[in-house]
Amino acid sequence: MPSAVVPLPEAAGQSSAPPGTLPAKSQKQMTKAERREMQERQRAAKAEKATQNQSKNSPKSSNKPAQTSKEGALAPRRASKAADLAPKGFQGAGGQSKDVKASGEDKSAHTRGLRIFSHFGLPKPTAHKGEVHPTIVRLGLQFSEFKITGANARCIATLTAFKTVIQDYVTPPNNTLSRHLMTYLSPQISYLVSARPMSVTMGNAIRQLKLDISGTDIDLPEQDAKDALCDKIDTYIRDRIIAADQVIEETAGNKIKDGDAILTYARSSVVEKVLLAAYADGKQFTVTVVDSRPMLEGKKLLEVLSFAGIQCTYLLLPAVGSVITEISMVLVGAHSLHSNGAVFSRAGTALVAMMAKQHLVPVVVCCETYKFSETVQLDSFTRNELAPVELFNSFPQNKQQDLSSLSDQPNLQILNPLYDLTPPSSITAVVTEVGVIPPSSISSIPLALGRTML
Amino acid sequence: MGTAPEIANQRIVEALVSKLRRRQVVGSRQTAIETVLVLRQVISKARFSNIEHLIQIIKAVGRRLVQAQPKEHTVGNTVRKVLHHVREEYHAVSRAGPSSAQPPKSSFSISKFVSQGQPRKQNLTLPKSEARSTSLRENDPDDPDSFAKGLKPVLMEAIQDVLDELETVYDNVSKSARDHIHSDEIVLTIGHSKTVESFLKSASHYRNYTVIVAESAPSFGGHKMARSLSTAGISTFLVPDSSIYALMSRVNKCILGAHAILANGGMFAVTGSLLAVSAAQAHSTPVVVCAGQFKLTPLWNLYHEYGALDFADPSSVLGFEEGSLVDKVDVVNPYFDYVGPELINVYITNDGDHPPSSVYRLIKESYDDEDHEL
Repeated sequence: MPSAVVPLPEAAGQSSAPPGTLPAKSQKQMTKAERREMQERQRAAKAEKATQNQSKNSPKSSNKPAQTSKEGALAPRRASKAADLAPKGFQGAGGQSKDVKASGEDKSAHTRGLRIFSHFGLPKPTAHKGEVHPTIVRLGLQFSEFKITGANARCIATLTAFKTVIQDYVTPPNNTLSRHLMTYLSPQISYLVSARPMSVTMGNAIRQLKLDISGTDIDLPEQDAKDALCDKIDTYIRDRIIAADQVIEETAGNKIKDGDAILTYARSSVVEKVLLAAYADGKQFTVTVVDSRPMLEGKKLLEVLSFAGIQCTYLLLPAVGSVITEISMVLVGAHSLHSNGAVFSRAGTALVAMMAKQHLVPVVVCCETYKFSETVQLDSFTRNELAPVELFNSFPQNKQQDLSSLSDQPNLQILNPLYDLTPPSSITAVVTEVGVIPPSSISSIPLALGRTML
Repeated sequence: MGTAPEIANQRIVEALVSKLRRRQVVGSRQTAIETVLVLRQVISKARFSNIEHLIQIIKAVGRRLVQAQPKEHTVGNTVRKVLHHVREEYHAVSRAGPSSAQPPKSSFSISKFVSQGQPRKQNLTLPKSEARSTSLRENDPDDPDSFAKGLKPVLMEAIQDVLDELETVYDNVSKSARDHIHSDEIVLTIGHSKTVESFLKSASHYRNYTVIVAESAPSFGGHKMARSLSTAGISTFLVPDSSIYALMSRVNKCILGAHAILANGGMFAVTGSLLAVSAAQAHSTPVVVCAGQFKLTPLWNLYHEYGALDFADPSSVLGFEEGSLVDKVDVVNPYFDYVGPELINVYITNDGDHPPSSVYRLIKESYDDEDHEL
């Protein structure tokens, strides 16, 4: 590809001495942003060179994963750090892709489209840095194989694994538990993140855990400190998840009347509990479960509900338009809530909520307060996750599709975004353990909990 | 009646009827072509002494075919189109002659325009029929076949016109592709529509752009579409339907295919189209529908019927491998969605681009009022 080779010296030239504006500054004199830009350009140039060598033999589709995994590697690591670094990280990736775009305009006129999804990032193969506890290794494997899915399930699994890690931890001499334990936990956390990008619930729980660790009394004997931490973890799970779910069951259950037709999407652990509790209370209602690829989680919910005796209807997402007129309420779960009132949830929820709103059906989101995230998300592109294609090959027996031959096609890329953002305009109310609130008041949840930080 | 041509007619018609009933004919265009061929044979073998008789024969055949597969609207549309052409040719021939009262060009009142269809079209057919301006005698007791013999060649030509139009649908729809799609655009489409496929492929000769194909469960037509588009060199993304809203903020336009276009400007399209179109409206993304004019249906009240959605096999949604769930659960698997006219921006047909609000006019031009009920 001769056209891409020519601009490389240009890019290198740009980074060393842009004429006129910056006479040769040393690294120390450049501001942090300029340094970062230079780094990005050099990295882009190196990536270009690397992909040039690869693209001669391998088709573009294998080229894309190499490039997207590199950029994807940037995304999860940056996402796991504090929120203020996240915008810069995204800018960095954006700047890099812009540079590469400028340098390979004609070659990549049609691959530019493929790059706008590059920041989603597929999980890259795990790299062991430092010691990783075997429980964490097992957990990471379960995450990457999607054996444990769902925000609540992942958070509980993570905290339980951390309890084991803390119990096995031994403070090295000349160190205090409150300071060293955090550095000990960091590689464990990054291992989990590399297996699968961290959920907001995991992030909030770990932040609370770090707060508890740093607040440990230095004079406490080690075993007592560890027991206290495990207690705090148990309390967190009990208060913020289990007890919250019970309050939500009751509150949302009050919204369900006899003769209702409830629609739910995919599988939310909270909604499942709400429906089972309402049915056990003796309410008569029917449930329509809407499901969709790639994960087809609704089938499990369908099994649970029908074995409990609830009359269910099952359909796939495209058919929602035809049944929505018969529905009296839509109940969905959430992955996280954001300050602007948007709900980040399983891909497809936004479509269901939008259709329901158009037909004047109330959309109720059941969500615990610990899922609240301070960040503001504007659309589903800011933060999302792609599911690996090989894991989700579930097609009904009479319609087997051959995804493997499709993924080998040049010019074709299969994307499975796992999440999407439902705008606040599509939501009627959010049921949390502090009450039923409209989406515009979501930013006051921390206030309602009586603290300034979750 | 039992005469040989009638029996032969019946055999041809019955063959198509059973194919339709068993859904062995797949695709609206294929159905339309087969219907035209059957009608051509019926007309060429038919014996009639006046125009009303011929129209009754065609309508009877049309009724049989539509009853065989009422959800396949192109059958009825084609029959109506043939009837329209038959009437036009008849009027043209019977008016042919020096004393023919041409539609007065000077008085273009709206009512005349609407009731007679486009004057332009009638002028086109006039020269053809003038060439053979024999005076047709209807109901001639001496020579009952003279009327038929005189009219049949003209009718055959008209039917050939219809057939030609059907065969060049894809080319004509794709003619304007270059103007609708621009460089570096991201286009969203659903499922597999041959019209949209040829539209996108012809645009790819002039522009570089990206297509996102939603796979449209459970028929998964999107897989075929993605494969064919990527083989043609267009950079394609295949996504499940759940991510349509997520990706819509980056999509520049939505290009869909239609199964049938209703008289109010709405359409029946493959399931999932309503989701895509609603999401496009939420993001103010233009929605473009590519369809041939043979899909225009004079019926418009269909969307109130739940059954108009044509339900397909539920085992594609929840198969028997799910075991005991199967008899506890209701499964719904509609094949089509109704999309209202307010959600669509433009119809690109083989006869030009039209907004949904002028579909009723296209229908007035293509079909006659008395044919709405076959």
